[in-house]
Formats: sequence, C-alpha cells, structure tokens
Amino acid sequence: MLEVRDVRVGYGDSVVIDSMSLDVAEGEFVVVIGPNGHGKSTLLRAISGLLPLKKGSINYRGQRIDNLATEQIVARGLVQIPQGDMLFPDMSVQENLLLGAFVHPDRAARAARLAEVYELFPKLSERSSQQARTLSGGERRMLALGRGLMTRADLLMIDEPSLGLAPVLVDEVYERIAQIAKSGITVLLVEENFAHVREVADRVILIENGGVVLAGTVDEVLENEAVTATYLGIGGE
Amino acid sequence: MNAILQTLVSTVVQGSMLALIAIGMTLVYGTLRVLNMAQGVMVMVGGFAAYTTVVRTGLPTWICLIVAAVVTFLLGVLTYYSAVKPLLGRVGVDFEMTAFITTFAIATIVQSVVLLIYGPRQKPFDPLWPGRIDITSDVSITYHSLIMAAVAIGALVGLGLFLSRSRYGLAITAVAQNLDAARLMGIPARRVYVVTMGIAAALAGIAGVLLAPLYFVYPNAGDLPLLQALIVVIFAGLGSVRGTIYASYIIGFLSAAVAIYWKSAYALPVLYVVILLVLVVRPNGIAGKPQEARL
Repeated sequence: MLEVRDVRVGYGDSVVIDSMSLDVAEGEFVVVIGPNGHGKSTLLRAISGLLPLKKGSINYRGQRIDNLATEQIVARGLVQIPQGDMLFPDMSVQENLLLGAFVHPDRAARAARLAEVYELFPKLSERSSQQARTLSGGERRMLALGRGLMTRADLLMIDEPSLGLAPVLVDEVYERIAQIAKSGITVLLVEENFAHVREVADRVILIENGGVVLAGTVDEVLENEAVTATYLGIGGE
Repeated sequence: MNAILQTLVSTVVQGSMLALIAIGMTLVYGTLRVLNMAQGVMVMVGGFAAYTTVVRTGLPTWICLIVAAVVTFLLGVLTYYSAVKPLLGRVGVDFEMTAFITTFAIATIVQSVVLLIYGPRQKPFDPLWPGRIDITSDVSITYHSLIMAAVAIGALVGLGLFLSRSRYGLAITAVAQNLDAARLMGIPARRVYVVTMGIAAALAGIAGVLLAPLYFVYPNAGDLPLLQALIVVIFAGLGSVRGTIYASYIIGFLSAAVAIYWKSAYALPVLYVVILLVLVVRPNGIAGKPQEARL
C-alpha cells in the first residue's frame, strides 16, 4: 500500500534520513521504533509532503506521491496525526473535528462521520463546544485522533501518541488506536517505547541514525536478542 | 449634549469604516504573516472602480459597490501572485520584511498606473443616498453615513459568519492558528492565502466606495486609510480579529472626540501619541497575544 524507496530527507543542508526503504501493506499495523532525534517524525513529514525528498521515491497505492502537495496526499486517504496534537487552539472541539473533514465537502457524510467519532470518543461529544485549548492532555490527544479519523483515512500515520501522557492515559489511547486499526484502517505508527506497542503491532521497523536497522514481526524482532537489548531496552527474555 | 450625540454617531461611522479596512490587514497578517501595505490602494481603487462605473455606464449606485468589490478582489489576488507567492517557502529570505516591501511596491505601482490613467485631480462622487435626517434641532446625520455604517457593519457580520460557519472560513482560521496542522488535514494553504487576500482587498474596496463622497476619488485617496488602518492593527495586536474590531471603534471614538471637542487637525497627531503610549505599556497591542498563533 505504501512503499518508501531509498529516501533521503533533511532540513537545509543537513541530512536526517538516508537511503531508507520500508513498506506497509493494506490492513497492517506497522510501528516504527527508534530513539528521539533519529528521523521518525522526519520520515512521516516527508511521506505527508511537508518536507521535500532529496532522493528516492514514495508510492501510495501504486502511484508516486512524493511530488504531490500535502492536501492532495490527504485527499487520497494517507493522513498523518502529528506529534504534539497540533490542534487549532482557539477553535471549539467540534470545529477542530469538522476541519478534519475538509477534504470531504459532502455535509451528510461529514455529519455521519462526526457521529462515529463522537461514539468512539464520548468525552469529545461532551466537550464539543469547548475551546480546544481548555482540554486536558488526554482529551487533546483524543481530539487529535478524532480529527485525524474525520479525514476518512485509509492509512493513518500516528506520530508518538503516548508522548507526554500519564501511563494510564497511554493505555487508553492505545486501546482506541487498536480499535481504529480493527475497523480496517491501516496504521503506521511512530513510537519510542516498544512496551507500548508490543501488543498491537503486526510488524516493527527499528530505525537508528536515519536508517532501518531491523524489520519484522514482533516475534521475529524479539528473537534477535542483541537488537532487543540495544534498541528496545528489554534485555534477552 | 449635542456634542456627545455627534461624537457617538461619528464613532460608529468612522469605527465601522476603520474596521472594514483594518480587518483585511488583520486577516492577511493572521494567515500569511504579511503586513499588507497594498491595503490602502485597494480603498483608492474601490473608489475609482465605482466612479468609473457610475460615470461611464450610469448604472445604479449600489451596483458600483459590487463592481468595486469584484475589481479589488481580483487586484488582491494579483497582489498575492506578484508580491507574496514568489517569496513563500524561500530559504534565507526574511519573509515578513520582504513581503512588507513588495506589497508596498505593488501599492506604488498601482498608484502610479491610476495616476497615468486618471490624472491627479480629485473627482467628486455623489453620496449613495443624498440627503440628511435631523436627530435633534442641531444634530443631523447624512443618509450616506447611515449607509456607510450599515454596509460596513453588514460586511463585518457577513465576514464573521463566513469565518465561523463556512468550510473555507474555518480553513482560514485554521491556517492562521496552526499552518502545519491545517495542511495535514488536507487544507490547501495556498488557496486559502489567495482567498484571504482577495477578501481583504474586497472589503477595502467596499470601504473605498463608501468613503469616496467624503474624500473624493484621486490616486492618493488610499494613503490616509492605510495610515489609519496601520494604527488600528498595531493598536489591536497584529492578527487579532476581535482586537481589530475593538481597536477600530476606540480609534474611531478618539478621532471623533478630538475633532469635535478640539480641532480636527489634531486628530491624527493625538492618535499617534496614544498609540505610542499604548505600545510602550503593551507592546503586543490591546489584544495582547505574543508572536505565535493568532486570529
């Protein structure tokens, strides 16, 4: 579904990601794991078209997308929920959600989608007229997820959904993400902490210094003791 | 008593006009971070568009409001493509400062072209609705100023509804509050920029028609409105819609009060003293938000 081929990305003259390749198949839940500052968010920004490629190509559903504008990529169903939520702070919860559906002008479909999102996140429904800036950290994360869902994505890229949340909230957020994945949406998620995604991931891709170190199913990755000890911090079990 | 009434009427009329011109600068600054120095010539071009329509075609005057809005909308779009778009995303360019200068260049070019076509002479323009109404034996209002206030307030309410209710209006606010998030939700930022600059110019163009009977139509007719709008948006805190509305009526009140109780020639100098004092006390203006997300 998504093919990243030999990609080089950076800011200005500096290169953050180099010759990186990875694949995501339809219906999969793929997690990219790696330490902070090693190019995970940069990868997602590049896929979303916010950063131009210096080299390589990105295909989505068999078509090249690395030359498209972000809004065109979103319209094709490849959507990113960015790190740190990036809500529209002075707009209401409902306005934030409706903006998620910007690429779908049909009012009836939008209303139906809104009802679905409110069903998945009842808290958001209670707070629908509240300004986004007044929400708690957990609620903000839920709103970011809900707003991403409003786009009717086929492939949802989620950037560190656990960032800055209390452990109990992290569990709740991952429960919802698992639910989203089960509804048939393909997920490419970026995470620093392997423990969070062990239960939900189909496949794990380890990256370091802007390149792929190891990729495989959760079990395959866990078998590689040297790697798990170094990158996942969980020693040989 | 009469002076108070006069000040009040004057505040509403002047404040609404200021708001109409300044709100466009606020929208453009909020979404694009461009202090649009071409906003003044939009007022002037609006006046000329109306003048030309009325003199050449003899169509009813209300149609000239629409013509002026359309012409200035297009000129706003043209300003975007010629002075702003080429600078977007350029590495190593101080975007805000450069766009400030390029929009000023556009303003100068437009002014010169209008001067070449129409000459420097001030052209009279009839009120949209002649006559006046007496409120008390001493105080009367021209129908035209009633129209000025009504059209301006109508346009501002319409703009408010557009921004808060419509898909594209919400998109404008979204781009202003968080550009990357807006793009990630599939909002075409560049199309939003075009629409915003068009709307901003059209509002100034409408103001230009309303002001024409008071200040005549001539190539420099946009200079004073630009100066006043700059005072308003800086006073308001750049990029704040609500702050701009408040600031417009405060500035409108100040200049009306100074003109009526003192001398109209002192209105502008007094405004500058006030703005200086305000900025010393509150460097971010009355709406008081720091540099980041606004609107």
